[in-house]
This record gives sequence, structure tokens and C-alpha cells, in this order.
Amino acid sequence: MFSSSLLKSVSKPGRYAGGEFGQILKKREDVDANFAFCFPDSYEIGMSNLGLRILYGVLNKDPKIRCERVFAPWTDMEDKMREKGILLCTQESGEEVRSFDFLGFTLQYEMCYTNVLNVLELSGIPLLASERGEEYPIVIGGGPCSYNAEPMADFFDLFNIGEGEEMLPEIVNLRIKMKKKGASKQEFLREAARTIEGVYVPSLYDVSYNEDGTVKAIEPKYPDVPRKVRKRIVKDLDTMFFPEQVVMPYIECVQDRIALEVFRGCIRGCRFCQAGMVCRPVREKSPETLLKQAKCLYDNTGYDEISLTCLSISDYTRLRELTDGLIEWTDGKKVSLSLPSLRIDSFSKELMDKVASVRTSSITFAPEAGTQRLRDVINKNVTEEDLMRSAGIAFETGKDTIKLYFMNGLPTETLEDIEGIGLLAKACVEKYYATPGHGKRPPQITISVSSFVPKPFTPFQWEPQDTVAQLEEKNQYLKEKITDRKIRYTHHDARVSHIEAVLALGDRRLSAALIEARRQGFRYDAWDEFFSYEKWMDVFAKCGIDTAFYANRRKAEDEILPWDTIDCGVTKEFLLREKHKAYGEKTTPSCREACSGCGANCLGGKDICCAKTK
Amino acid sequence: MLCEDKMIEEYPLLPEPKTVRLKFCKTGALQYISHLDLQRNFGRILARADLPLWYTQGFNPHPKLVFALPLAIGCESVCELADIRINRDMPCDEILRRMKKATVRELDFLSCYEANRKFAEITYAGYLVKIQSPMNMLPAEADVEKLLTSSPLIMIRKTKSGEKETDIVPMIKKVRVSKDENGLCLRLLLSAGEGNTLNPELVVSALRQHLAFPGEEAEYSIMREYLTDGSRKEFV
Repeated sequence: MFSSSLLKSVSKPGRYAGGEFGQILKKREDVDANFAFCFPDSYEIGMSNLGLRILYGVLNKDPKIRCERVFAPWTDMEDKMREKGILLCTQESGEEVRSFDFLGFTLQYEMCYTNVLNVLELSGIPLLASERGEEYPIVIGGGPCSYNAEPMADFFDLFNIGEGEEMLPEIVNLRIKMKKKGASKQEFLREAARTIEGVYVPSLYDVSYNEDGTVKAIEPKYPDVPRKVRKRIVKDLDTMFFPEQVVMPYIECVQDRIALEVFRGCIRGCRFCQAGMVCRPVREKSPETLLKQAKCLYDNTGYDEISLTCLSISDYTRLRELTDGLIEWTDGKKVSLSLPSLRIDSFSKELMDKVASVRTSSITFAPEAGTQRLRDVINKNVTEEDLMRSAGIAFETGKDTIKLYFMNGLPTETLEDIEGIGLLAKACVEKYYATPGHGKRPPQITISVSSFVPKPFTPFQWEPQDTVAQLEEKNQYLKEKITDRKIRYTHHDARVSHIEAVLALGDRRLSAALIEARRQGFRYDAWDEFFSYEKWMDVFAKCGIDTAFYANRRKAEDEILPWDTIDCGVTKEFLLREKHKAYGEKTTPSCREACSGCGANCLGGKDICCAKTK
Repeated sequence: MLCEDKMIEEYPLLPEPKTVRLKFCKTGALQYISHLDLQRNFGRILARADLPLWYTQGFNPHPKLVFALPLAIGCESVCELADIRINRDMPCDEILRRMKKATVRELDFLSCYEANRKFAEITYAGYLVKIQSPMNMLPAEADVEKLLTSSPLIMIRKTKSGEKETDIVPMIKKVRVSKDENGLCLRLLLSAGEGNTLNPELVVSALRQHLAFPGEEAEYSIMREYLTDGSRKEFV
């Protein structure tokens, strides 16, 4: 437990104090397994995560399991802990993390990897799984990055591939059962890999490499270890566990509102998007379920905002029923609705009238690429006409600020495509003045450009990332093209994207670099103020790792990829078909229009996305 | 809201909105929550309690909520007061019952009543400061008392208009010092109210500066115990 003199000496002590409404307090002696669930970033980021809310609830629902939260301490707290030799504790009981049976990390972005190692170190837990005896927690990883967590493989005992609602309690219960019989950690890990779908135990596989550095083979060490680990999904979202209570942070968090998860998966198939591929098949919750859950969450939290969460809200088949049903009571309670992302091909005035954005003067769209040709390559399936129509609706209703998201460095991109980004923004400015009833102020069009990072399990997984120099040149080119002061241009740091690509596409040999990064004190690399490209490149160089090999190399289609052990439902054949179509500038219709045979239907699900294959 | 609760609409509308006062504690983990964060969370507690709140009539309607006296981070209290405004005739004991259900033990609601005195009457706040220390490290009681009663005792005080040097002795109305096996106990009555509030933390800093006690690492707690008006009668 952190002492009061320590808490009084750090910034925002509310981050560490616990005591929130809705936290679940159990006693160690009343349960069979203790699970510490860590979001490896600051409290304010971690407490915003929906996955944490769900899995915290699902584990604690089991009377045999106690789950408590852990976050990365902020740097001032870390300094004090190191100085005084204090170990990291959980939020609820203040017990040391290393005294728990399990330590689970949710891996939401690659740049949190250094924080994972820092949390292990601050907890007094050896970094390498191979150096942890029976007395240490079993370290579990999950979340989007676990689809290729090979760079982190040496630090974890097992990974959850896919959705954890069912898998995680099964894992903990298997451990409880086997521990009672005196089984060792190794015996448990092998049994979990053998019997629980979605469990990947990296230490049970041998990886060998070719002379050229590519993977030669990934071989299970034992015959009963699955050659392929299939992603786990929850088949029916209506009957799935749902957390009726949320732990209510007192200090302000990034997402401080009700997150109502409407559906999982995406019908679109944008070729750069990992979530759109690995979250398949599409599974919806019914409006009846959602309306019940929304009211329940409001009663139990008192939040004044409900955010409808999913990959693309306008693709929800019963959106009108849902929003109408919500508005029936939300207006009276002064609760507002917000939508995370809107597709410009389905944006309507009716929808906009219902959401909170009426309060703000800004709205965000994501055309992703500047020309129709490139939007076809990435299969974004929206047109300039869609954007103009949507912008027009926004301007008509008094908005004068539009934010547009783009990517640069996409496959086949030319300078013409970059210039197209500026031209689209210019067209928005013109649309503003051409819209009758537009606002009094001049419009403000913000272009935000991030750099393309090739991701595993996408049709672009074989693609090279542009070099940092190329990306920076493109950023500069666009900057010079924009002369209108009504257009504001911002872009992400291409150097961060490069490190991201290395970690996203990496293999087990990167663990040496991560250990070196920890040795040099890296942490909070997802935060601009702590990220240092030069230091990262030094670390890689010191470990003899060529970052270009991972990030900037075009991979052969028959190359064994580091993540080939994982089966996310979508087949490699489909991804290759999509890659080839991209080069032919051919689009693929959404799952609702036609089944493209991606393979995810093999995973099942209550309402399989494509009617034809039912 | 539980099924056995009466619906808000079952309580009759009031001709005029009514102000009710809530007394609550803020202890343990909750002492690390800032006043601003408390304000934001109060709205959520009120929503969870499902009270017939009166909303301001402006462009951005919100419930009326006024706190008696902000509490500094690191300071506990058993005498916090906040006024809310309701538009239906829900009895105070029902409001209290609902509020207690919607919160945690360390931010518990102690009583609810119709308010008749204005927060502006609050002039002093009583604190109990406990500093843990071995007996042989403690300063003499008389030295502590002398320090805190001999003007001028200049400390840097953070106010709305920035930091300024202030003689804090006139803001210390009463000091009582005692020792026990755990350490030093200070009972303080300090100036409180708009623009004239003395943070008890500053008294601890004064001891540290002038008597080299308590040490940087010492554990101490500060508890706000009661509020009074200008005639030092308890304010409720």
C-alpha cells in the first residue's frame, strides 16, 4: 500500500488511491485465484478502456476469482518508488502485484511495450518468462497487439488470441484446478495450450530463421501443442457477459462516459485496417439488449454521456431503433449521445440531430486518402461526392469546423495522391461558401495526416512502410501545397510510426532490443514527451537489429511470417486476393452487399455477417 | 434505481424549487481527490441517486450545486456541506437514503436537511492534525504554541491572485497542542471563508520550517472536524 506521505508528494494522487464507486473488493482468503489486471499506461488512459471494464467484471463475477486493477505509475511516482524501494501495488487492496497468481496486460498499442516491462520491473517480477519460478504470477497478454506479440513473446507466459470474456475465466479456472492437484506452471501452460481455444503459449514453439533473416519455421515443441492457434470469439453478444457496474474514476479520464458496445467486427474491409480484419465476423447486439444495458449503466454510473462504440456505427442495421429508443429517456435526463466515427457515405442530418455533436461546432470524417484512385486501392469505398454531401449537411446545420483524417505512405501512393489531400480540404472550404445558410465565421478545415503502418493480418501485411525520410518529404510536400489559412495541417511524427511498424511486424529477436530499452529506462513511449527516436535507433543498433528489415522491406508472398501460428479466421488466401485487387485498383463490396469469402465465418457467430453462407 | 424505489414523478411538484443541504464526509482514499474532481463526480452521484433535481434554465442546463468550503487535497473531513436544489417534494430522509446508496463509505452522506443559513456565515474551520513521531523526536508543546501564536509568522500562501507572503498568525484563532504515544496532536481553529481560508497544510509547513518537525517522510493526517460562524458557534 502506498503511504499517505508518498501519495501527498506526487502529482494527481487520486490515480493511486483507489476507493472508487463501483470497485469490487474481495478478500484474498475468500478466493482461489488472484488476478491483477494491468493497463500499461497512466490511470487516466487505462480507466477509459472498455476491455478492462468488461474483463474486470467477468473475472470478479466468478466467486473463486478476485480481480484487481493496476496501472503504470506516472514518472514522478516511479522515481519515488525506485528511490524508496517500494513495489507496485494494485488499486483495490494495495497488495503487491507480485503476490498475485496472474498478471494480465492488455496490449492496445505497440508503444506501450516499454511500459509493460517497466511495470514488471516495478513489481519486482523478472522480465523473462523463462526466469520466473513458480512463486511469480503467470503473465498473460491480450488485446489487439497479441495478434503479433512475437517481440514480447519472451516476457509472457501466454497470450489470449481474440475475445477474452469466456477464455480468461477458463484459463484461471484451469489453473485453480491443476494447482490443487499440485501441477507446475509448465504443466498448466501446456494443458491450457492444448485444451483452451485461443490460448497461445509462445514458449511451446521453436522459431528458426533463414540466412536472409526471414523466418524459416515455427514448430510446436510437442505433438499435442496446436500448430495453429485459432482466435476465440463470443458467438452471441446478446447473451454475453455485460458489466452493469463501472468503476467510476474520480479524476478526469480520457473517456469519461458510458461506452455502449453496439457490435463487433466490420463489414467494410479497408485494406490497411487490422481491426476490420481480426474482429470479424460481424456480430450485433439487438436494440432491445442495448436499450436495457444503456439504462442500467446510466442508473449505476450517473454519467451524462453515452458513446455508441463500434468500428463503424452507421453500419449498424438497426441504428434508428437504437437512437430513437435512447432519445426517449436521455433528453429528459440531460444525457447526450456521441458517436465515435462516422462514415461519409451514410452521414445524415437525421443522425446528426440526435447526437451530442450539436453542442460542439466540429465534426470529423476520415476519407483516409486524397484521390479516388488511392481510396480504391485501400478499399475505403467512399467518394469525394460523399464527402461534399456530408460536409454540406454539417455546414447547413451551422457547423464551421471539419476535421479530416488521412494517411500517407499508403501502397502505390504518388505525390498526386498527397496533393489530393490538400485539394479535398480546399473543396470543403468552397463547399462551405456554396452552402446556403452557412455560418458567419470563415470555415476551419483541419487535415490530420498519420503515416501508414503495415499491420499483420491485413492485405497490406506484405507491404514495406515508406522510410522516415520519404514520409517526412511527403509531409513537407503537402505543407507547401497548403496556402489557404482556412486549412490547418497537422501530421503525426513519422519517426514514431517507424518504430511502431518495427514492433508491429517484428519477431522474437526484438526482445533483446526491448530488454535494452528497459535497461536504458524507456517508458511512456506512447507519449510524445518521452519518446526519443534517436534513443530507439541506438538501442536497435546496439542489438544488431536492422529496423528497415522489419519496417521497410517488401515481403514475399510465400514467406513465413512471424505471426503465422495465429489463425484469426480471415485466411491468407483472402488477404492475398485483396492485396492483388488493391494493385488493380479494384474495390471489394462490403459484406452486406456480397460475401468476399474472407474465411471468418468458420468462427461461427449468432448472425454470421453474410446471409449467403448461413 | 431499484424497483422498490418510488418513481420521482410520484412526489408532488413544488411551487418553488427548494434548497436542501447535505452533510458528508471525505476520508481515506477520497482525501486525494481534488475539489474540482469532487464537483464533477457529485453530479454523477446525484444522477445515480435519482433525485428530483431542479436544473438551471440556461443554454446548458445543469443541477444547482453549491459547496460550503473547498477542501484541500490530503485533508480529510467529517463536516463537508453542499446545497442542492430540488423541484419535487421528496422528504430529506429519502434523499439521504438515496444518496447513501449511490456513494462509497469514504464519501458518505451523514445528514440531509432544509438549509436556513448561508455559507457566507462560515468564518472558522476546526481541524485535528496528527503527526506520527517517536516521543523523543517531538518538539515541546510550548514551542509549538509559541510559534503559532507569535505574530508575525510569514508563510507563502497560494491564493486566487497568485502566491503571496502572509502572516498566518491572525488566521489561527485557536491552538491546542498535546502529545501521546503516537506523536503530536494539534487542534486548530483556522480562518475559513471566501478569500480568507488558511490551509492547515501551511501550519504543518511552518512547524517544519521553524522547528524542523515533522521530517519530510513523517506520516501525518489532517481532519476537518467542524465549521463555525463568526461567534464560533457550530455552523450547520
